[in-house]
Amino acid sequence: MKPEFTRAAPHATPPDATTRATSQGGRAITRMLGAAAFVAAAAVGGQAGAWSLKEAAAPYKGTTISIVGLERPSYEAAKKLTPEFEKETGIKVKWTSFPYENTLKEETLNFVANSEQFDVILSDVVWPVNFAGAKWTVPLDRFMKDPKLADPALDMKDFFPVWLASFTVDGKLYGLPFDSYAGLLYYNKSMLKAAGIDKPPATWDALREDAKKLTDKDKGVYGYALQSARGETQTADAFARFLWPWGGSFLNIADKKVTVNDAGAVKGMEFRQSLLPYMPSGIVADDHSQVVELLNQKKAAMITEWSAFYPTLSTGPLGDDLGIAPEPVGPDRGASAFGGFAYMISSQVSQKKQDAGWLFVQWLTSKEMAKPLIENGAVVARMSADKDPALQAKYPNLKPMVETWEKATIPDWRPQLQCYPRFSDIVSNWGSEIELGQVKIKEGLDKMAGELTSYMNSSNCWANANTPQKFIEMYK
Amino acid sequence: MSDPDKLPLLPPARRSFLEKAAPWLFIAPSLLLLLAIGLYPMIYTVYNSLQNFVMGMGPPVFNGGTNYITAITSQNFQNSVLRTLVLLVITLPVELVLGMMIALALDSQHSPFLRRLLQICLVIPIAITPAVIGLLTQLMFNEQLGVINYLLGRIGISPVDWLGSPTSAFATVVCVQIWEWTPFVALVLSAALSTVPPEVDEAALLETERWWPRFSAIRLPFMLPGITAALVFQTAFTMKAFDMIYAIQKGGPGSATEVAIIHIERLAFRGFDIGVASAQSILMLVLSIVLARTYIRLFYREVDG
Amino acid sequence: MSPQTADAIKRFLHAAGIVVVLVMILFPLYWMVAGSLKTQPELFAIPPHWTWAPTLDAYREAIADSGVLRALGNSLIVTLSAVALGLVVGVPAAYGIARYSFRGRREIWFWYVTNWMLVPVVVLIPFYLTAARLHMINNPLTLIAVYQIFIIPLVVWLMVDQFRSVPVALEEAAQLDGLNRFQIFLRISLPLVTPGLAVSAVLSGIFAWNDLLYAFILTPGDEVRTAPTIALSYLGGYTIPWPKVMATSTLVTAPVIIGGIAIHKYVARGLTMGAVK
Repeated sequence: MKPEFTRAAPHATPPDATTRATSQGGRAITRMLGAAAFVAAAAVGGQAGAWSLKEAAAPYKGTTISIVGLERPSYEAAKKLTPEFEKETGIKVKWTSFPYENTLKEETLNFVANSEQFDVILSDVVWPVNFAGAKWTVPLDRFMKDPKLADPALDMKDFFPVWLASFTVDGKLYGLPFDSYAGLLYYNKSMLKAAGIDKPPATWDALREDAKKLTDKDKGVYGYALQSARGETQTADAFARFLWPWGGSFLNIADKKVTVNDAGAVKGMEFRQSLLPYMPSGIVADDHSQVVELLNQKKAAMITEWSAFYPTLSTGPLGDDLGIAPEPVGPDRGASAFGGFAYMISSQVSQKKQDAGWLFVQWLTSKEMAKPLIENGAVVARMSADKDPALQAKYPNLKPMVETWEKATIPDWRPQLQCYPRFSDIVSNWGSEIELGQVKIKEGLDKMAGELTSYMNSSNCWANANTPQKFIEMYK
Repeated sequence: MSDPDKLPLLPPARRSFLEKAAPWLFIAPSLLLLLAIGLYPMIYTVYNSLQNFVMGMGPPVFNGGTNYITAITSQNFQNSVLRTLVLLVITLPVELVLGMMIALALDSQHSPFLRRLLQICLVIPIAITPAVIGLLTQLMFNEQLGVINYLLGRIGISPVDWLGSPTSAFATVVCVQIWEWTPFVALVLSAALSTVPPEVDEAALLETERWWPRFSAIRLPFMLPGITAALVFQTAFTMKAFDMIYAIQKGGPGSATEVAIIHIERLAFRGFDIGVASAQSILMLVLSIVLARTYIRLFYREVDG
Repeated sequence: MSPQTADAIKRFLHAAGIVVVLVMILFPLYWMVAGSLKTQPELFAIPPHWTWAPTLDAYREAIADSGVLRALGNSLIVTLSAVALGLVVGVPAAYGIARYSFRGRREIWFWYVTNWMLVPVVVLIPFYLTAARLHMINNPLTLIAVYQIFIIPLVVWLMVDQFRSVPVALEEAAQLDGLNRFQIFLRISLPLVTPGLAVSAVLSGIFAWNDLLYAFILTPGDEVRTAPTIALSYLGGYTIPWPKVMATSTLVTAPVIIGGIAIHKYVARGLTMGAVK
């Protein structure tokens, strides 16, 4: 930027915006105009017709922001649409994509080394406390309260409350949801029909009965397949999924107690073991992709997978045979798998990059972009789009997804802890050992609880445990 | 493995400054570079190993040797080191024996075309990216959809759950590790075999027609340095085997194939406990050096005295 | 059994043994290349399709959406530079160790070998933190420097032997002709160790090319990432596009296999590893 001696005159913007304006003297004029427009707009009763992305982005023209993505459909869709934003704003967006497994590592290293590699941070639903707790990402209210940066059409009420609550720490929102999932039941319609099953199972007990009917080991055909690979897949997909519906839970945060070995958890794990005869024996090693392949190859009749898989499965060999239903409910409650992501803004980069990053995140998660994103294969947490009958007709994953988020979601389905990475690692270690039959169920759960308890106590992990449930009302 | 103390040396020449400095001038660039990229991070790791350092949970705090105690008493770490040693103990002899057989087959006079083809092909497993080998393993050893079980089925063996059961998953890693590195051992041994002077071999043939005495008394001593080198190389390859095992199933199922390096990586980059992971790394390094030293001592006893 | 029959049996066993080894080595390679020319359903078909209509779609996809070509280019630049640097500093060091007696020689040699034993995870975090401080993340130079940690030991290890096999008499003669140490090294010894140079270069090249752990952490950016990381990056996705993975793997492995085959003649003379008397 060329040195510029025009200083911004004091005007009706928050103090931080003033500093920003001074630090970017060259853009001061535009900013003043923007501010003037806002004042004018406010004067005529808060109608913010004056706001436009192009104008808001003008001070950041030529800035490059670096954003983290995954190798998953939602990000492919986002990457495809990014040029529209670049064209409109003159801000350049640089994507770096990681395999899910490496994302937290790359982002954490980026923060620990203060390397300013990424401006816009991707947070899994279980990482907000890691990032916000370490003050690596900023609360979004700074942007949302800044009339020059906040799109009046942002419409926070249009996000599903549970999703905003999930990225709220200490009452402050840190991320806007993107790539949001619910666990769904995907099944092969023809196989169910051939076995005399007229509708997909609504309860886990029914699923087991159906799986029994569908299994034909001699032909190598199985009723059900559960992705169980060690790692977050074991913790989330294979353990938590069979914990909550039987009344189990991970933690009792109020009493600082680990509850993974109480009666509900034991019942849930017993049920999971009872499904093993109807699953391929190598299932403990299988991750998402193998399970999807089993369904595609007609080797498994039913799988429970994230709603984000729809584009992948619908373009696969099953064609019209692909059926979708909400995840079955357990004897105690319905508690479908809950997972997904949000975009946050790094606290370590310049304000200019933060602002430009915010503009991109706001644009990407906007109401307006929801439809084109869905049409390009993404899943989003925008009610207006997810509940749109026309879109629901075209994308059958939307309806059960919405149903799940509204009725059968537990926001701390996996606990939000600053030490979650290690916590999850311990859960997945013992979860796998139990599933493999290397250890008895109760004994394995006791060991898991013991290890978790000593780790939670020694690392002072209880101190800032987050409970998103209590923030849901905030967003209703 | 060459023992530098036994090397033929150049006679001292004119005692100019340049002459005296010559060895250091030859060595200095690589030495400086290795100090920067080899020694510095190692010292940094020792430093980290003495801190309570969990990424994302505040700045590192000195905690004495606590991490080493945590590391040594961790049952998971003990198991992973044990697994590494088991992998080493199984694969090393098999690789040596198979490698020796291949080297001898290459040394024979029969089927020149096949021998030449084999010599070319031996570099292939070494050249293939280990991560790709892991991916191929995942594909070929899949219980339902893999070609290995299909081929076994053709000869009447019922499908094996290669990757799903702990024992067979470990066996799979053993097989793949052997597949990947036996050719390298074979090449080293074959090179060693070629250094046996033909006249010595022919002289021995006059003494006895029997193969084994000739092999053990004449050829083997010539090959000892090559065998030592192969051992040191393979020990390093096995201890460092990360990409292949990781690409198969990240140490799973459960912790069945979690060797020490995978355990350390998991602790450092999934659990973010840099302090304990650094301590475990240092322990692994000590173990590697002890093993390398032992080989050299075993095979060069007369030198080290 | 007549000696002729015994000999024929021997010949047969020898040939059969070699064929078995060849099949075991080549089958996975065949499976990779075949997989890259199939579609996903064909790839998983049981019984496997031994004949099929090959398609180059997987290659097209890999090249079009994943920047495989750029990654191959990055890998090539990093590998060639790293090997060149390793040879330029490593070969003289090997000569110095092979031909001079000085204090600490044995220790230095052993320390070089120790670096070969270094478990990469150990130094990864220090590397990352240091590189980040120097703003060297996503800089190919970082990889080129880091790879010296295994290239220099390898080069020194292999080349010490090679120089040892050069008759001292040759160098003495050159000394009498008035050449100094450096001229002897460059003009007399170096040309005699070409097989060792070729083997060192290609082996170091293979290890540098195939590295995944350092590359994942130190050069994650889309513009600078290396080829092997791309092959593995598909695994993080929701379905693994196996034909695309196999196509990428084939493209990634082809250069190293060609390099390996090119030096196979020198292997017997370059990999002697101390066996030279």
